[in-house]
Amino acid sequence: MTDTLFLFATIAGTPIAVRATEIEAVVRLGEIVPIPLVPPHVRGLAALRSRVLTVIDMEAQIIPGACGAAPAGLAIVAQIAGHSYAFCVDALSDICHAGAGVQPLHGRVDPAWAPFVGGLVEHDGRGHLLVTLAAFAATPACTPRAA
Amino acid sequence: MDEILAEFIAETLETLDALSGEVVAWEMDPTDRSRLDAFFRFFHTVKGSCGFLNLPRFERLAHAAEDVLAAIRRGDRSADPATVSAVLAVMDRIGALARSAGAGVSAGIAEAEDDGLLDALNLASHGFEIFAPACAPDPAPSVPPADGEDLPADAPRRAGSGAPRSIRLPLALIDQLMNGISDMVLARNDLARRMRDHGVDPELESSFERLSANVADLRDMISKTRMQRIDRLYAAIPRMVRDLSRELGKKVALELDGGDVEMDREMVEMVLDPLTHIVRNALDHGIERPAERRAAGKDETGTLRLVARQSGNQIMVEIRDDGRGINRAALVEKAIAARLCTAAQAALMAEAEQLALVFHPGLSTAEQVTAVSGRGVGMDVVRANVEQIGGVIAIDSQAGRGTTITLRVPLTLTIIPGLIIRSGAHFFAMPRGNVVELLHDNSAMVAIEQVGGARIATIRGERHSMIALEDVLGITRAADQSGPRTLMVIRSSGGRPYVLCVESVESNEELVIRPASPPVTAAGLFAGMTLPDNGQPMLLLDAAGIAQVACLPVREADGHAFAPSATGAAEARVETVQALIYRERDGRQRLIPLSVVDRVEDLAAAQIVRTGDGAFARIEDALAPALNADGELGPTIKALRLHDGHSQFCYLIDDVLDIIAAPARLDIALSGGRIAGLVMVGDTQYEMIDPFAIFAEAAGTAAARATRPIRCRIADADDPWMRNILAPLLAQAGHDVSIGEGSDTAPDVILRGETGAPLPDASAPVLTLSANEAGAAGIYRYDRAGLLAAISRAARSAA
Repeated sequence: MTDTLFLFATIAGTPIAVRATEIEAVVRLGEIVPIPLVPPHVRGLAALRSRVLTVIDMEAQIIPGACGAAPAGLAIVAQIAGHSYAFCVDALSDICHAGAGVQPLHGRVDPAWAPFVGGLVEHDGRGHLLVTLAAFAATPACTPRAA
Repeated sequence: MDEILAEFIAETLETLDALSGEVVAWEMDPTDRSRLDAFFRFFHTVKGSCGFLNLPRFERLAHAAEDVLAAIRRGDRSADPATVSAVLAVMDRIGALARSAGAGVSAGIAEAEDDGLLDALNLASHGFEIFAPACAPDPAPSVPPADGEDLPADAPRRAGSGAPRSIRLPLALIDQLMNGISDMVLARNDLARRMRDHGVDPELESSFERLSANVADLRDMISKTRMQRIDRLYAAIPRMVRDLSRELGKKVALELDGGDVEMDREMVEMVLDPLTHIVRNALDHGIERPAERRAAGKDETGTLRLVARQSGNQIMVEIRDDGRGINRAALVEKAIAARLCTAAQAALMAEAEQLALVFHPGLSTAEQVTAVSGRGVGMDVVRANVEQIGGVIAIDSQAGRGTTITLRVPLTLTIIPGLIIRSGAHFFAMPRGNVVELLHDNSAMVAIEQVGGARIATIRGERHSMIALEDVLGITRAADQSGPRTLMVIRSSGGRPYVLCVESVESNEELVIRPASPPVTAAGLFAGMTLPDNGQPMLLLDAAGIAQVACLPVREADGHAFAPSATGAAEARVETVQALIYRERDGRQRLIPLSVVDRVEDLAAAQIVRTGDGAFARIEDALAPALNADGELGPTIKALRLHDGHSQFCYLIDDVLDIIAAPARLDIALSGGRIAGLVMVGDTQYEMIDPFAIFAEAAGTAAARATRPIRCRIADADDPWMRNILAPLLAQAGHDVSIGEGSDTAPDVILRGETGAPLPDASAPVLTLSANEAGAAGIYRYDRAGLLAAISRAARSAA
């Protein structure tokens, strides 16, 4: 049943959905320590209890130059390849089952979104873009968008 | 060795336990292929391990049983009940021996009794021949030969109870434990900080203290579970040395020392590959064949020595061979051919730097290596592996005497002592192992100068490149810094030590290091992250990465490496040339384009020959013009050997100061003399030498000497000294030599001995050579410099 469990959130004004299996927790981040000389989407480091999280600004990945309009507060914590990340989101709406599951994406998605989107999830009468967190954690050089 | 033995025994007993269930089943159905295979594997493993552990008794038993089972597998013989029992008996015997060996007592079974078992195998084999293993008859020291009579009465009992009590755990579990404890330490630190912030009553504090101490103990204990003796690292080496030396037809004695040093299991694994590689190289390229060694006056058997030592929180592993050493000249040649450096740069390199070229990836492709005839096979990979774990590799080699490679690796990967550094609003950690020294920039021991954008810190006479952490990281410096800044002398792996200038060093902590996530490590500056006591996540700086990002001069001096890019990046757009700053003999500092400098060398005063209108330096028995040779010369003189592609000459100087990138355009051009003009480098203007002018000057000197070789005639054809000693010397110095009267062409100079016949009708100047140093009659014949100078002087006066 967890296959159809999604977290619905908003980044860059766009409704998104994330598979619940990808998510470890949703937290409110404390202070973020910036890191010099890293791509802009890497906001910095944050301490969560005794762990160190790498904070990823998803919005900066989508819209280059847009450096997290909203002050980082809510974040999705996830483990990717053994590392702990926190992904900033603007707002969270819900975690619930989407009975219809993932549907193919109709219409051409903005190229900026393309590397991250894997389909569409229906919730509350609206379509949410299904994103993969791991894609956001990758450095832009690894994504086709870098060109 | 003991540990490996214990491990072998534990493993053997474990497998026996597992197989004991199969025994009965196999007995019932001896044709069962999978069971047969399992037994075969067991004997095979035991045999293999025993050969290596030098347990001939085990080996003999296992070998015999293996042969029988192999025959059954091949279908050469059937698994009749007699054979099965014989095999099982051997298994039981191995079990019994292993148990007693594990308890450290003799088995109480005479070795002769083994023969009975083997006979049983033989007997059952219906004439099948069992090859007796050709192992050494002397028993292993760890399994003393059983002596039934003297056996203590309680031995069998002890054998049962004293067996090594150990369990085997999956490595993943140990890793999880370690991670868990790391998290616990971090949580404790976090709690400690919160308690400090809030202020708690002493009672709570004391119970926290107790908890804290427990956590620390636990961490130490868990760390110990990860510790392994370095023996493990050594385990594979004797066999490898034996096989490889046999294959290469070399004789090698292997010495292993320091096997009881313990290090982190992970580190052992990480060091294994580089170590294997180095040993291989030493055997392959270092140690010579017996015949070559004899010819070189060395013992036929080469020695390869591995020593491990713990020093502080580092483990040092030294691999030393007494082979032919590395051919430095050939290596440098290869490096120049591979365009890793120019001849001039190579000449400026210290010996150690030249040796370090072996670590350059460009020099490690197969065909180049054979040509270099040194090491180089994957040494770049070795270095990369060692550096990856925060280690340092160093190489030292003396031609004909051998090579020593030293690995220094940290004891453990996860918890390291570190310094917390403040830079503006940021905090970073630096592994303490990388820090050689800390100083304040206002210390009297430090002189900081700025040349051509490069900042140089001279600490007690030693020059280091200096970079500010803020510049490398691109962060703003604190504007209101009141106190002195701190200079850290950093020893990075694979580079020269450099000075990192930071705002301040805050504290010194044991840090639990966690790997940083890929987007962070991509910057190339950070080695990991940590959460120190202050609760602020912090990045661990990568000392080698900083040097790389700042483009500090590293060992492989490539063209731009000399230009510091922290500030140099902006200036790089101005076209620059590499120039050498040197001090003239009159004390003035000048620049000369590096492209014309072939090398810097020390000349002995005796090598300088002064003649009427110029001086020459004797280099390899040819004379080259020497400029600046006026005045008093010390016992040794530094000289720049300048080369225009065809001819060379020496330019005597006081000292070489530095290599910098100087603007290619002169700020003020001057005409005439040796000076081309003035250039500004940093805040100082320098006079730039005009290569054209000095080469022209040198060419003038050379022309004055002679445009053709000097024809020397040796008058006394019968004098053996003249014929055998003098003639070759003159020929070597580039002169034409004729002996006696036989030559048609008129000589420029005639040489005669004191005692020879006088030459009344000399057509050329005559030089008389005296066999006696005090002889007034002429030039002392062993005064080579004087002799050569006199010849050229005489030839000129004749012309």
